[in-house]
Amino acid sequence: MPLYRISQWALIAPALVLVIALFMMPIAWFVGASLAELGSIDAIWSEAKSVLGSRAILGAIWTTNVIALVVTISALIIGYPLSYALSRAKGLAFSLILICIVVPYFTSVVVRTYAWMVILGRNGIVNQVLLSTGLINEPLNLMYNRLGVVIGMTYVLLPYMVLTLFGAMKAVDSRLLQAAEGMGARPLTIFAKVFLPLTLHGVMAGSLIVFILAIGFFITPALMGGTGDIMMATLIEREIEVSQNWPVAALMTIALLAITLTLYALYGRFADRSGERFV
Amino acid sequence: MLTAPFVLRGTAQSSEQVIVRTTGGRYDDVMRRQVYDPFTELTGITVIPVAATIAKMLTMARARNVELDLIDAAIGPLVTLQREGVLAPIDYGSWKWSKPDDVMVDYRQDKHVGHYVYASVLAYNTNSFPDGQHPQNWSDFWNSEKFAGPRMLADMATGHPNLEFALLADGVPMDQLYPLDIKRAFEAMSRLRPHIRKFWDTGALSSQMMLDQEVLLGSIWNGRVQPLIDQGVPLGFVWNQHMQQLQSLGVFEGAPNAKNAQMLIDFMLQPEVQARYSADLQYGPTNQKAFGILTAEQAAQLPGSPASRAVGFLPNIDWWEDNRELVNREWSNWILQ
Repeated sequence: MPLYRISQWALIAPALVLVIALFMMPIAWFVGASLAELGSIDAIWSEAKSVLGSRAILGAIWTTNVIALVVTISALIIGYPLSYALSRAKGLAFSLILICIVVPYFTSVVVRTYAWMVILGRNGIVNQVLLSTGLINEPLNLMYNRLGVVIGMTYVLLPYMVLTLFGAMKAVDSRLLQAAEGMGARPLTIFAKVFLPLTLHGVMAGSLIVFILAIGFFITPALMGGTGDIMMATLIEREIEVSQNWPVAALMTIALLAITLTLYALYGRFADRSGERFV
Repeated sequence: MLTAPFVLRGTAQSSEQVIVRTTGGRYDDVMRRQVYDPFTELTGITVIPVAATIAKMLTMARARNVELDLIDAAIGPLVTLQREGVLAPIDYGSWKWSKPDDVMVDYRQDKHVGHYVYASVLAYNTNSFPDGQHPQNWSDFWNSEKFAGPRMLADMATGHPNLEFALLADGVPMDQLYPLDIKRAFEAMSRLRPHIRKFWDTGALSSQMMLDQEVLLGSIWNGRVQPLIDQGVPLGFVWNQHMQQLQSLGVFEGAPNAKNAQMLIDFMLQPEVQARYSADLQYGPTNQKAFGILTAEQAAQLPGSPASRAVGFLPNIDWWEDNRELVNREWSNWILQ
């Protein structure tokens, strides 16, 4: 093995050991020990069929994916112009935008959610302003429903979208845009024919990251959702805490992990292609 | 002269400790002041409260790596642990401060003992429902025409959703609730569901929703709504048809400080100690002698008192332990309809 290969492995080894010891092994232990409770492969198979075919889990998978998709699209719509502004900003403006995007990310999820309650509640700021201006007569239900979940999750996941897009936009050679302009293209054409295609891999990568993170969400839907906004993580948590049925929790975990890994494989494809482009 | 031996013991055993699983938050502050510090002063044993979910405690027990001694939890999780065979017997014989017979017999078990009673009550906003026009029972709560407004009930995540209240609303008498008719309960819940804004999963969320008027009616723990009323928030509640819930103590088999844990149980259940922390927490004592120490006014506000027992019920914990998994599955199917 050439020296640079060995040094590559040496550099990656600490992280690899950490991930295997702290992440992979506990999951393997949990899934292994839980499924072992069922006894035989046949028992696991029939339990898997009944669990994963149940109305509850299919409903939760559907709800989870719908919410994750809406959150991803929302984050993209808000994040794309924001990233563009960030990629063009300099000095103080750059620092300010970056701080605004990143600081909420470091705030505890409970504090953030209570802040949203103050803003979105029935007697919250938004409703008070709308009521006092006469735009509405009855307070709007902005949280404890699907809308609340989407607002809360989009807010939490926005930094991932913005920072991924920022990387892609920063890498766009501004001379290409100038060249297009010089050849008489209108701004909209420059965006559609040059800038967007050059940042599309960032859009895909950012969207996949947000989607993958969104399908595992637990606290925000629990705190900001309504009665029917049940995501997969909620069901898994209840199987562990309420039912103490670890085999079922393990099967649900495998299902969620399978969805995540499938998406991650897709993400890997886009990340690789973006890599080729610049090497 | 009398204090001297304790001082000596205190210094000699300064490394002695007992690790207690508690519910955390304000509860720990009250217990620190009224129970743990006085206990440490008397015995030299330091009390360390920690947080742990039932799943974490089960994992500890299964991995044979018990990191805590005393479990202070709702009776449900303690029965779960008992059935798992990981609890040691309560050493009633060794008690020197409390008398076992003073603790009501319903609250006293081989491997766990109740130390306070809390209640799920029907609370309402007094601006919307002033005196004389407020809901009196769970049938009223289910009557969304007469008592209009968003509502909340307990979530499955609490381990004990309000199926009893649904059945009471549907006309089942309070003394014939068990075994619960799960199907009938969910049918009653379905009728009210359009008016339910949220199922609360923590005490903090339930009081926040009442405080912010996100809901006008709700089931809530009495110890969560009484402080709001005392602060002047326009809320009220009725004791009628309330559910008494027991908070109990148990000791892990093979706990590192098992003896200290048994001592702390003995200390906690004394009438004087119970009276002090019950009054602060607004939860009822299990040692019946403690009611004699509290003022009549205080006792009237605490669940588990003779007056409260006459209008409320104690849930059948064995039924819940046998059926919680089934109810959880039914709940998931129902909630995702």
